[in-house]
Amino acid sequence: MIELKNITKTYKTTKIDTITALDNINLTFNTGELIILKGASGSGKSTILSLLAGLSKPTSGEVIIDNKRISKLPDDFATTYRQENIGFIFQKYNLIGGLSVKENIMLPLYPLNLDSNKLEQKANDIMEKFQIVHKKDIIINNLSGGEQQRTAIARAHINNPKIILADEPTANLDETLSLSFIEILKELKQENKTIIVATHDPIFFNLKFVDRIIEISKGSILS
Amino acid sequence: MILSPTIITILSLNFIFLIFGAIAFFLSIRIYQKWNLQATTNLQYKLEKQSYLAATIIKYIFLIKIPLFLFFIFTLDNISNSITGAMCAAGVVDATPYGIYLFIFKIINIYLFGYWLMLHHKDSKDENFSLTKQKFFIFIVAFLLLIVEITLELLMFLAIDLTQIVSCCGTLYSSTSSSYISNIFLISPTLQLIVFYTLFTLMILGYFFKNKYFFIIINFLFLLIAIITLISFFGTYIYELPTHHCPFCFLQKDYNYVGYFLYTFLFFGTFFGMGVGFFKNGFKWSLTFNMLYIILITYYPVSYYLKNGVWL
Repeated sequence: MIELKNITKTYKTTKIDTITALDNINLTFNTGELIILKGASGSGKSTILSLLAGLSKPTSGEVIIDNKRISKLPDDFATTYRQENIGFIFQKYNLIGGLSVKENIMLPLYPLNLDSNKLEQKANDIMEKFQIVHKKDIIINNLSGGEQQRTAIARAHINNPKIILADEPTANLDETLSLSFIEILKELKQENKTIIVATHDPIFFNLKFVDRIIEISKGSILS
Repeated sequence: MILSPTIITILSLNFIFLIFGAIAFFLSIRIYQKWNLQATTNLQYKLEKQSYLAATIIKYIFLIKIPLFLFFIFTLDNISNSITGAMCAAGVVDATPYGIYLFIFKIINIYLFGYWLMLHHKDSKDENFSLTKQKFFIFIVAFLLLIVEITLELLMFLAIDLTQIVSCCGTLYSSTSSSYISNIFLISPTLQLIVFYTLFTLMILGYFFKNKYFFIIINFLFLLIAIITLISFFGTYIYELPTHHCPFCFLQKDYNYVGYFLYTFLFFGTFFGMGVGFFKNGFKWSLTFNMLYIILITYYPVSYYLKNGVWL
């Protein structure tokens, strides 16, 4: 279970000015749920994902995942935790343009010092699952948006994380590719992953397999 | 006042240590006073971030400061050529009233800094920050000692008068000297050697029984007796001169810089031994370094006896 307790997050814009991205919010996500965080740009959705992934710390309050106080972890431990438990799909994918699909997908596994055969095997399995294996040696810069997104999803999935976070995953996709992404989400949900998608794309709001839609506005929960 | 490139280096580094150390010091006081790991307040999160900054500053100061001790000895040895009467670092230490206190502070500080680094290493492997408060408290004390050390160092370099004749080590470390050192020579060397080798034997027993407190006490006593026997007995075999007891001359090239090896083995051995609780393999490392010290130091009288058939 994921809990956000009394979370406030402010960012300094100048020496004296701050922006409140999240204002004392409380949220709970159950294991295996697919949650949509709905809200306009700047509403605080991405901040929530970043806190859940341990990429940033709250200004006050705490994030607890499976009874572990994630927001209190030192950076090194937060990195390990993220590596083992979180798959993150970024809005702009954050792939390394000069590397191939396979190399990008294998990146999260390098610190684990796995045997190279095992590494290749895992990468191949995941590329097959996300139907990108035919492009495995192609450099990222030469891929289409949809292919880049599949690569990003495969990379987020290679550690078999319990939690998948997606930040505006369809922002750069056309409708066909967006629908294809939704099919992937459906498969991941069937694997009992906890999935949290931050989006303002209406395509997500009427899906039957979505458990909850949480609306956020100006750092507060509306519904 | 004497200035040489090595002294300028030391003084410049001291200046840098003081500036960065002061930043870490004020952060440490704040962390020590306000740290509450259970809290999820803005202040606690800020302190957690600041603890990274402070710990990183302290780590690098201490990591540089520890080997700098050897550089300090090298510097003293180096400037001894410029001071009339001084034959080695001993003459420079004795040239001002601050030298001996500086030396004592330096030795205490390198042990303290080393233990802080170990504590920090252990703390950084613990996701619950369980040693953070102790770590910063120790730094508050260590920084004050560091200020004393740096002040003494500056005073010593300022007080060195090149026109004044100082005593050489041969005079300072002799049984006829009026200094406190001469007390060493009142104790029989045989008794000193018995205590020295008995303590090492007890250290081996401590290693097998793995009794931390016993091992710490033995290491502390071993450090003291090792320095005493080095001055009163073993040094004479390194120099092959029965009247020369200086604990600095064997740091010079004429003696193949063996002093650096001896002090490194002894300090590392007793450092691990007195901090055995901090280290995973503290017993093993301590015994290994102390054994290297024993082997190297025993080699000199034994080889002298084998070559000449007599003791000094």
